[in-house]
Amino acid sequence: MLLATVATLATTAALAQDKPPIKVGFLEDQSGEIALLTLPKLRGAQLAVEEINKAGGIDGRQLELIAYDPQFDNAKFQEFTRRLIDSDEIDVLFAGATSASREAVRPIIDRTDIPYFYTNQYEGGVCDANMIGTGGLPEQQLSTLVPWMMEKYGKKVYTIAADYNFGQISAEWTRKLVEENGGEIVGEEMIPLGVSQFGQTIQNIQAAKPDWLMTLVVGNSQASFYEQAPAAGLKIPMGSSITIGLGFEHKRFKPPAMENMHVAMNWFEEVSSPDADAFKQRWRAKFPEETYINDMGQNAYAAVYLYKKLVEMAEGSTELADLRTQIATGQACIDAPEGQICIDPKSQHVSHRMWQVSVDAQHNVTVERSWDKVEPYWLGEVGCDLTQYDPKEQYTPSYLPEPQ
Amino acid sequence: MKNLLSLVNGPQTFGQGRTFWSAALLLLVAALFFPLFVSNYTVGNVAFFAVWVFMALGLSLIWGYGGMLSFGQTAFFGMAGYSYGVIAINFGQQSNLTFLSLILALVMAGLLALLIGYFMIYGRITGVFVGIVTLSLTLTLATFVNQTAGPEWRIGRARLNGYNGMTRIPPLSIPWVDGKLYFEGTAFYFLVLALLVVTYLGLRILVNSRFGNVLVAIRENPDRAELLGYDIRRYQLAAFVIGSTLAGLSGALYTAWGQFIAPASMALPAAAMPIIWVAVGGRKDLTATMVGTLLVLWLFQSLIVISQQYALIFIGALLLVTILFTPGGYLVWLMEHWQAYTERRRERAVPLPSGRPVAEGAAE
Amino acid sequence: MLQTISYLYQVADVFAFLVLAAAGLAIIFGMMGIINMAHGEFIAVGAYVTTYSYQAGAPLVLGILLGSAAAGLFGIALERTVVRRFYHRPIDSLVATWGISLIMTQGALLLFGSGAPGVGTPFGSVAVAGGSFSIYRLVLLLIAVLVLAGLYLVFMKTRFGVHARATMQNAAMARSLGVPVDRVYAATFGLGAALAGLAGGLYAPTMTLSPMMGGSFVIEAFVTVVAGGADVLVGTPPAAIVLAVIKATATSFYGQVYGVMGLLVAVCIVVRVLPDGFTGWMTRRST
Repeated sequence: MLLATVATLATTAALAQDKPPIKVGFLEDQSGEIALLTLPKLRGAQLAVEEINKAGGIDGRQLELIAYDPQFDNAKFQEFTRRLIDSDEIDVLFAGATSASREAVRPIIDRTDIPYFYTNQYEGGVCDANMIGTGGLPEQQLSTLVPWMMEKYGKKVYTIAADYNFGQISAEWTRKLVEENGGEIVGEEMIPLGVSQFGQTIQNIQAAKPDWLMTLVVGNSQASFYEQAPAAGLKIPMGSSITIGLGFEHKRFKPPAMENMHVAMNWFEEVSSPDADAFKQRWRAKFPEETYINDMGQNAYAAVYLYKKLVEMAEGSTELADLRTQIATGQACIDAPEGQICIDPKSQHVSHRMWQVSVDAQHNVTVERSWDKVEPYWLGEVGCDLTQYDPKEQYTPSYLPEPQ
Repeated sequence: MKNLLSLVNGPQTFGQGRTFWSAALLLLVAALFFPLFVSNYTVGNVAFFAVWVFMALGLSLIWGYGGMLSFGQTAFFGMAGYSYGVIAINFGQQSNLTFLSLILALVMAGLLALLIGYFMIYGRITGVFVGIVTLSLTLTLATFVNQTAGPEWRIGRARLNGYNGMTRIPPLSIPWVDGKLYFEGTAFYFLVLALLVVTYLGLRILVNSRFGNVLVAIRENPDRAELLGYDIRRYQLAAFVIGSTLAGLSGALYTAWGQFIAPASMALPAAAMPIIWVAVGGRKDLTATMVGTLLVLWLFQSLIVISQQYALIFIGALLLVTILFTPGGYLVWLMEHWQAYTERRRERAVPLPSGRPVAEGAAE
Repeated sequence: MLQTISYLYQVADVFAFLVLAAAGLAIIFGMMGIINMAHGEFIAVGAYVTTYSYQAGAPLVLGILLGSAAAGLFGIALERTVVRRFYHRPIDSLVATWGISLIMTQGALLLFGSGAPGVGTPFGSVAVAGGSFSIYRLVLLLIAVLVLAGLYLVFMKTRFGVHARATMQNAAMARSLGVPVDRVYAATFGLGAALAGLAGGLYAPTMTLSPMMGGSFVIEAFVTVVAGGADVLVGTPPAAIVLAVIKATATSFYGQVYGVMGLLVAVCIVVRVLPDGFTGWMTRRST
């Protein structure tokens, strides 16, 4: 009897050993214009994969992380996505920081039955059954921040944004929110990626005399704005959806460059809770050199656990259809370092615990307000319902779904 | 006709005689049956490599044979790519006009080349300045397209989409018994293979014809060629337009293959790639260019999978070493040595002055 | 009033940027006929050495000088080992220096990672007519003018300058007259690299550092050199003035993108109208 039990145990163990690994495709820039910000994503995923594998994997299967470096080149994102699908035969894909890279990946992944996690905060609006968006959205980041800024600093707003879909659509959101709240956009400037000299932009802002500035600049070169603006005497309250928590400019620039910056996001390293502190400790044990555990890193880490949860709910299946059946229940929630997050069945984006912070002259970060749960409601409200219909489109306030 | 075909062999190209053509035929047969033995991914990947060869062959014609270093192959690549995208999105899908879109895209690239080439060549711009003007052209186009992210930049139903690039472009297709035949995967591979064979043989004939000989004469000494009564600018312009249109063919095929085109395809790193492929293999010979391009592309991709950063260092070093020690490209260097070797052997066997083809034109 | 001052300040700012970015490239091109594609990487060398010296406690001015010197030494080493093999093959030199640039960028990326701590812009700002302007930017303008004046003195008043100009006119003749042509080439290349390093050091406090940062200088530098033509003393200043006006005007009326496009279109036109750039135009007028 005893022997028989031991034998059974041994076979189970052997079976678990024999189960093929779950292949996790992973594409994030490890070099190039924004690598500084996206490298924590790779490390977050590595940490999560290591922890899950140590704890026995997902349904007894180990995770195998297959990562390439697309070097901020959207054509490489496509090339590697094809390679991951056709040659490496991945079960799930995590890819892309910029919205441009996401839009390069989507047409390819959409022709397969592979689930795709996009783990970045972004301009929102993607209604696509293959994609699960786990980053912050305008209704979580901008709808919270903009009215507060207008109340506190005034109704005249100037926007500078990187000239591609993220900047364009985020600027559109800002415009919509400012106008809804009875304010005025006194200037809006789109900056080409790679521009590093902001003399004219700074003077345009001074001439327009806004009450505050929305900065949506992207990448190493454009970050030079934060150095050049105060040097030219432009000291003005700023709001953003990507600085501090994502770009950790307060750690990279000499104070007081980021003074009076305000951001709403689902993660800052400065935020403290038992879960968050334990997570930061595990991270720093594995990667002691990390400058800042940014929002992207936390999101990538949490997204791997979210995938684990979905596969476990689907009783070990990695098929997209089975995972989506579980998403449709509305019960796909995990306790991430930030707090509890749940996937919304209609839009396949997640709810977030949100914080709004401000930065002082010494680059200290103070939490101004926080929300326990902000739903990703916008897509569902305007008519995206992935449980009914899969348009694979990206919607914006000026491009809404047609009523079905 | 027979005369024309005999021009595939001649003084301006390496590789002739029975050995070479038998090997070439064998290679072609291998290429034809290759998809039976490997995965779909490998077939697609090889087709992807082959797409770039047209652009390299075009640069070989402009730079290697014509002596004008064009840094702007990517401008024509992008022009044709975007043209294909815009036309195919608007008309391709419904009316089976994707091949017409391809041809129109080539016409657009050719017209741009004619305009720029005329402006440049008849403006007597020479030497490194040709490189600078063509580089400016491709960077201007890249910068321009980069800022077309807004919704106001649309042509018909096609959004240009700025930095993001155009996506969801219909692939090449023709009407077929049960609906449509899409040129994807293996079908695309055979299409590219056929185009490549035609282009390669066509270019060999071109460079060995009177046109090619005059072009090489102009490269070697423009003043002498002009004194001999040739309208040198017409020859240079023709070479520039043909070579640039071939870059356009790469661009249109790339766009149809990936159903995607972005301004990064025209930016600085991309613009330098064709120069590397062509310089490393040997710009002054079509075969060396073709083989060299495929080898570098394959090597680069194999390295990237290991480490992108080290791959770029390696490519830089490869380029530097090649240009330092075998200025004409290492494949041309090998071919020259092989030719010299076989001739020495032949001379020893038959003690007669050998009729070495006048390949001197290809030397410095 | 504010608009006029603001516009003039922009023109001056762009002018300083163009001169500093282009000077090193222009000297190497003018003297040796070599287009140095690794120019941006020399700029990055200057910026990195400046930043790390400053982080190590050196005053900013010393840091900038160290950055410039490091880039210069690096340039001399490169000239002795690689570049000197290409004096008769200018087009190949373009390809070779591009290879060097690839190796340097990727090497720096592996060594330093993709970011570096900031330095902070010194001097603060000054308020004029209701607007405020960075003083450091005005210092940069002053330095740009000093660089041009310094180059004039070096090439017109020193023995090295005489040798360099003689070598540029006719290297074989200069050699037979006893000019140490090899050393002149090495020194010229080193000077060009040091000026690139100086530009990097000067702009380091105003920018985010990355191994690819040279990229945001090179297009402007190329454009200025091509428009200026072979002679850095005669061609570069008028080219930088004209291009600064074009860029500042296009940027202030139509935005950043048109500033960049304006530059590129302008250079195509200049090359077409003035085949030798402003150098040819200036010398034709003076004869």
